[in-house]
Amino acid sequence: MSKEQARTTSRSAPRPNVYMPTQPFWDAAEQGRLVIQCCRASGRFQHFPRPVSLYTGRRELEWREVSGRGTLYSWTVTLSPWPGHEARVPYICALVDLDEGVRVLANLYHCEPEKLRIGMPLRLVWERLDDRFNYPAFAPAGEP
Amino acid sequence: MRDVAIVAYGETKIVLRSGRSAYELAGEVMEQILGRTGLDKCEIDGVCVTETLSQTENSFWPQYVCEMLGLSPTWLEVVALGGASPIGGVARAALAIRAGLCRTALVIAADAQPSRPPEQGAHRFEFLYPTGLHGPVGAFGLIMQRYHHLYGLNDAALAKLAVTQRNHGLLNPNACDKLRVPLTEQDYLQSKRVSTPLRLLDSVLVCDGANGVLLTSDDNARRLGLETRVFPTGYAEQTHYNLTEPLAEITDSGFLSAGPRAFQQAGLTPKDIASFHAYDDFFMAVLLQLEHLGFCARGRGCDFILETDLSYRGTLPLNTGGGQISAGQPRLAGGGVNLVEAVRQLFGEGGARQVADRRNALVTGIGGIPYARNWATSAVLILER
Repeated sequence: MSKEQARTTSRSAPRPNVYMPTQPFWDAAEQGRLVIQCCRASGRFQHFPRPVSLYTGRRELEWREVSGRGTLYSWTVTLSPWPGHEARVPYICALVDLDEGVRVLANLYHCEPEKLRIGMPLRLVWERLDDRFNYPAFAPAGEP
Repeated sequence: MRDVAIVAYGETKIVLRSGRSAYELAGEVMEQILGRTGLDKCEIDGVCVTETLSQTENSFWPQYVCEMLGLSPTWLEVVALGGASPIGGVARAALAIRAGLCRTALVIAADAQPSRPPEQGAHRFEFLYPTGLHGPVGAFGLIMQRYHHLYGLNDAALAKLAVTQRNHGLLNPNACDKLRVPLTEQDYLQSKRVSTPLRLLDSVLVCDGANGVLLTSDDNARRLGLETRVFPTGYAEQTHYNLTEPLAEITDSGFLSAGPRAFQQAGLTPKDIASFHAYDDFFMAVLLQLEHLGFCARGRGCDFILETDLSYRGTLPLNTGGGQISAGQPRLAGGGVNLVEAVRQLFGEGGARQVADRRNALVTGIGGIPYARNWATSAVLILER
């Protein structure tokens, strides 16, 4: 997936590998691919990354690329920002259900809050953070 | 079971930026409890403290509390269930007393301004903070939006909760002074949105304060001549409900699991509950609890609120001290605000806001905000006279 509308913001960048090795997630993101942890035994996805499978408690995990397609589960327009996000107000935080069966917290772009509908199809876009990270975000699937 | 009783409570006034430490606030609570019971401090041989925000960098906080308060317990525990800690502490103290690990246990919560913001760390640096979701406020904005989609969220019901609890807070001398001003439904409806559809007045004002209760065996209470007793007859908790369902409905909560277990233990049903002291970090949490604990059907919470007199004189008195939203949330001691109010009411010491029916009270606790969920721990405590 190609990078779209690269943006630079002053908010704090992700800190990989703090609580467990997450480098594969960020390496793939750098290539424009969204990878999500998948339990090999059950074939089910989980996000955020964890040291074990949520489903079996075992470490039989791998990173699998997902389609980047999903639907809107819920959203909120943030008017009172989290520290570091003051310049972004208002911004949309959303729960996105990926087609692969896993929920992701992400920002929504290229959309008006009035036009958001729960269940609407979304597609993956990438936001550039701190000129070092591709960060996954979503936009309405139909929009250019 | 009625073999262990709550025999006393204590609470500081809830204050915005008090300048006092959690230790000092805790000392005030213990002094109140000793004064009310006439007990010598050496009778306290069990201590259960809640985790704090202000002292969280001190891994030895529970021992420091005891050292500070002059207590040498044979049983010491820290409970870190967020706002569920104080009622979780009551349940744990009752077990410790039954097991003979101690005889008389102080369950205490105190918190104040931290010297620097506590950091939960873990996955948050990568998968939460870059999105800018505004902590619990953002999480409850997502929950409210989802609820509105499923059932319709009636602002009039939330406004009624705001006014009902504020009216109660006005009658509570321990409520934060900043909140002890009258509030109208219009004030609620016109308060600014912070994370849509959540308004500023949907949530708590973070303050300093402390509270606590004293538990002992019923036999020991009689020996000590403590006549006023309240019994914890039902308790259940649930952490990470539906965790292995990645697409779980976020308007479901652990109260669907903990509620029936607590009611079954006490042999009561929601219809038997005389007053409800619901954990209220947000009004949305109160609405969901009314549904999940069985006071009304799923999706009927707003109608139930509008149809029910929730005042201290009503058919289901709710958060009769104002709750945390109108008394102030003393950070991680906040879960004790409604616990102490329930005990106060059952003792008949509710003053201007005393409920008529003091057979029992239902107290709940909520703690922790996990990734893309609602809350981590749901806890339910039933108290009976």
